[in-house]
Amino acid sequence: MKKIETADGQVLRDTFSAATAWLEKSVADIDALNVFPVPDGDTGTNMLLTMRSAVEEAFRVPDHSASAVSQAMAKGALMGARGNSGVILSQIWRGLAKGLANKDQFTARDFAEAFLEASKTAYKGLSNPVEGTILTVIREAAQTGVKAAKEYGDNLIVVMEAIVDAASKSLANTPNLLPVLKEAGVVDAGGQGLYTILEGALRYLRGEGEQMQFRKPQIVTSSAVAPARLPPLNVKEIPFGYCTEFLIKGKDIDADKLRERLKKNGESLIVVGDNSNIRVHIHTLDPGKVIHIGTALGTLHQVSIRNMDEQHEDFLEMQKQRLPASDVAIIAVSPGSGISDVFNSLGAFVVPGGQTMNPSTKDILQAVESVVPDKVIILPNNSNIILTAGQVHSLTKKNVRVIPTRTVPQGVAAILAFDYDSDFETNASMMEKAKDSVRTIEITRAIRTTRLGDLRIRKNQSIGLLDTELVAVGNTPLDVLNQVLEKIKLEDYEVVTIYYGQDIPQAEAEKLAAELREKYPNLQIEIVRGGQPHYEYIVSIE
Amino acid sequence: MTVKIMADSLGDIPADVVKDLDITIIPIHVLFGTTSYKDGVDLTTEQFYEKLVNSKTLPTSAVPSLGTFIEYYERVAEKADEIIVCTISHKLSGTFETASRAAEMVKKKCRIKVIDTLQVIMGEGLITIEAARAAKAGESFENIVKLIEHNMKRVEPRMAFDTLEYLKRGGRIGAAQAFLGSVLKINPVLCMKDGEIYPFARERSRAKAIESLYNFTSGFNKVDALAVEDATTPGEADALANRLKEKFPGVPLYRSKVSAVIGVHVGPSVIAVTVLGDRKQ
Repeated sequence: MKKIETADGQVLRDTFSAATAWLEKSVADIDALNVFPVPDGDTGTNMLLTMRSAVEEAFRVPDHSASAVSQAMAKGALMGARGNSGVILSQIWRGLAKGLANKDQFTARDFAEAFLEASKTAYKGLSNPVEGTILTVIREAAQTGVKAAKEYGDNLIVVMEAIVDAASKSLANTPNLLPVLKEAGVVDAGGQGLYTILEGALRYLRGEGEQMQFRKPQIVTSSAVAPARLPPLNVKEIPFGYCTEFLIKGKDIDADKLRERLKKNGESLIVVGDNSNIRVHIHTLDPGKVIHIGTALGTLHQVSIRNMDEQHEDFLEMQKQRLPASDVAIIAVSPGSGISDVFNSLGAFVVPGGQTMNPSTKDILQAVESVVPDKVIILPNNSNIILTAGQVHSLTKKNVRVIPTRTVPQGVAAILAFDYDSDFETNASMMEKAKDSVRTIEITRAIRTTRLGDLRIRKNQSIGLLDTELVAVGNTPLDVLNQVLEKIKLEDYEVVTIYYGQDIPQAEAEKLAAELREKYPNLQIEIVRGGQPHYEYIVSIE
Repeated sequence: MTVKIMADSLGDIPADVVKDLDITIIPIHVLFGTTSYKDGVDLTTEQFYEKLVNSKTLPTSAVPSLGTFIEYYERVAEKADEIIVCTISHKLSGTFETASRAAEMVKKKCRIKVIDTLQVIMGEGLITIEAARAAKAGESFENIVKLIEHNMKRVEPRMAFDTLEYLKRGGRIGAAQAFLGSVLKINPVLCMKDGEIYPFARERSRAKAIESLYNFTSGFNKVDALAVEDATTPGEADALANRLKEKFPGVPLYRSKVSAVIGVHVGPSVIAVTVLGDRKQ
């Protein structure tokens, strides 16, 4: 395992340069998330431009000390900051630079402290900080970072991992804090941008620079249950006004005083900078007045006034084009985070649950009620959940159909058969048929000593189920899996997908896949992190 | 009154059919860096895909100039009284716009109607072929236009992909982006809806995706014409074409290549089936 004890300004530069490239790949996706504070749809772009400016400035300083490079990045970020999130990002850099001041090199502990300072500074520029945004993400990530640094103060990678992990969780939770996100069924765009930057930095520190070229950042999925309703499309009570931004260059400007003066002129006000460079961002109905106040204090630069009502319309248009219209929602019960990702990526809403953690009828009902469409298909993906799911239809006015999928692979096969062009009934019957096109192997452990047919099973031994029938027993999951595989005529199939559980290291799953590929060269073997507990492996054979 | 049929090169009509039915094809351009090639003229489809795989810069496509259209119209007008031009869907290319504007400029000399087929590849191709056949048989301008409009409702392409990366990069993905970002490896099959690329099915392997193209033809009661196209996998497409010939004996089946311009947006692995016919009720 790679370990970084201390780092200097050069590392800082390279790391965030890589993180900026990483962010760049995600810009369009982040722009599409944007719903807060007004849907101006360019958060990703703004954050990228801010980061670019920061990185450019970092490469301009000849000094390699952490202090000099972080100062330069803070300056570059302020000069290049655009939009709400960009300005907050520039504040984050400012705080980070403050935390790293007078340091040639920094340890994980130094970084965690500086990151906490960054979090505090981010809050300071705002007249009215809102939770469920980038602010929450950095605060929670920074707090976790400091905790992690207490134990792993000598390892930057471990501390960064803790920060990224916390940022991801915090981000997934943003819709629970901010109703506008919950309605749109997305996470906060600025938070996503920050998470992507941090994640890119972590990947680079881990030495994954090469792989990063070929991969793309993922957008974090909302942990809140999907939207109860979409925001009304054509009702527009309050005009959004103009997003007004500029940089004031002058002498001895009092940022606090300026913020106070501008406060009553609009929404989403941010005033940041030092006393000679101040960046202003405000959503106002009267940009003229705001500019007037600015010009009294110094010269104005990078002035930008954009009509947000226009942007809002473009945004709605963009949202409309994003996905095919379907009046059917699919809700899948998922036993693991990786499997949830699979279902999400195929267009389903997810209710967590599985073996020994069956969701209640209420859990599923809640999900059914919270999706927009009136027609809902439920994939229980576990034989113990089929009945629970079956209760839902009597408790809701919505038209609900349960496809009795007994395993995750059956659920995946069913959702793949979904056709945007077909109606509810046709889809339900196609999905029902499709679920039987796949065979499932599940590897788990015996919970008690028993005997079943010819099989003598001791407690905690590995057992293998083929289409939910117990058919093999052994001492290791791999051994059992191979036994079950031998019972199937694999030559007759095309695709094998292995979802490995939370206790299985990726390397072990990869090794298994390599062995299978050698044994069955005609099969397409794919491994996917399932993240499920109790089941070491869930295997789909099609 | 002689009616002549023209189309852009994105309908993928096989060269012998073009010649036979006297269709005039206006080549769309492919740009590699700053070098421009006329689709199917300066660059064969095979050469294009070779270049696509080996080139460092990604190619783009470009509609020919207004002047080029005018030149073509004037040349065809020498031998025709009336011209009907079939184009690719305006939602995927600017061809229809340019072709229409050019038609405005020469309409005094010759009656020209530009029709947006709302289709692509052989969807556009089969419509054009049927129109040219009618023109050759001496049908009137009005009747040919009616036939085209009728066939626009009866033509359906299905395209099987290994990846949607090229489509996404070219910005032509439309609603099919619902199929992007899948954690599992899937082979998407796409169709056309209202002139746009639209998701149809997700299969877990290439073999299944091709099977889905074959099965899709079962949804028709009466099939008038079929087309099978590939980009760089002729063997697979031939096998599929042979199976379809057995399934639909006596129905004309056109075997062609996805043009370079479309290749820019779909990538080298695409394989497509188009049906002109009536759906089962």
